[in-house]
Amino acid sequence: MTLPIHWNDPLVQACCWSVLTIGLYLAAKRIYRRWHQWWQMPLAMAPALLIAVVLYFQVSYRDYYQATSWLVALLGPATVAFAVPIYEHRALIRRFWPLLIIGMVAGSATAVLTGWAFSTLLGIDGSLRLSLLPRSMSTPFAMNVSKDIGGISDLTAIFVIITGLLGSLLGEFMMRRLPLRSALARGAMMGVAAHAAGTAKAHEVGAEEGTIAGLLMILVGMVNVVAASIFTVLR
Amino acid sequence: MSTRRITIPLRRRFHRSRLAQIGLLFMVWWAGEAAVRLLGFPIPGGIIGMIATYSMLMCRRLSISSLRRGAEWYIGEMLLFFIPAVPAITEHRELFGLIGLKILAVIFAGTVAVMSVTALTVDIFYRWRMRT
Repeated sequence: MTLPIHWNDPLVQACCWSVLTIGLYLAAKRIYRRWHQWWQMPLAMAPALLIAVVLYFQVSYRDYYQATSWLVALLGPATVAFAVPIYEHRALIRRFWPLLIIGMVAGSATAVLTGWAFSTLLGIDGSLRLSLLPRSMSTPFAMNVSKDIGGISDLTAIFVIITGLLGSLLGEFMMRRLPLRSALARGAMMGVAAHAAGTAKAHEVGAEEGTIAGLLMILVGMVNVVAASIFTVLR
Repeated sequence: MSTRRITIPLRRRFHRSRLAQIGLLFMVWWAGEAAVRLLGFPIPGGIIGMIATYSMLMCRRLSISSLRRGAEWYIGEMLLFFIPAVPAITEHRELFGLIGLKILAVIFAGTVAVMSVTALTVDIFYRWRMRT
């Protein structure tokens, strides 16, 4: 007897991969909440298992992505959602905005300079080195900047994800180690260094941290896109 | 009077419904995307949508309770939307060798540097600001 369902049907694939992805995410979230080990974080454990599945069944990433790209597209409306925490904490932002701007400029400059310096030190050059520079911004901005300065935007997208992963993993450790007095500094650190992944982590720590991180993530992206387009015009 | 009798319970239901609020977020995002495409801005439509939403909240065109539930849920589950992008690494086998390790080192060291510089800069200015 044959089932009337075909595995190659794109709709079936979309359902299966989406259910698997969401299921692994929810499972990782539960496990992380229970035991709280860094490698159980949803952004570490779920993708690791997915990569294992994709490699084991020799599925091409293209097929997987086609089935689940709708989840990535949901990041767009998430940006709109940031209006709410920003509105609710507007008094804090109005009071401290010069601090936030200074932190953002310092952080962005560090991101570009360390990207360049460490790459040069390890012998990475050319377009690969350029692709590493916008890694701390969120994906749509980073891909734009990468294209403007002569990088490879596909690779930049991957570097952005790795940065977000490392940033949110390092976040808790850094918050414990650095002598930080303010929620402002903790939020700025996560938003400037690790875009939306860092912001999600910052929201776990506290509402103020999360708001500042979200605001700075957006600002970093916008300022850098403008800076990169000025750079291309000048060149 | 009669329109109020209809709109008030409707509004109350909207304030309680997370799903309807997420729907509103989607509509705003979609409108932002359309505006960006029409005007040819190099920024994502979500940003335009965010600025529009913030302005509407500020001039009391929109009440915060008609978005809060939806927005909080959305931001809380944001990590899920990243996960499908991570296995993209399997497409770039060239990154699995020494060059990949080097890139990982650059990103790791760079991220630690960015985090330290940003956090310490903000914190130093924060202390200075609180003292004066």
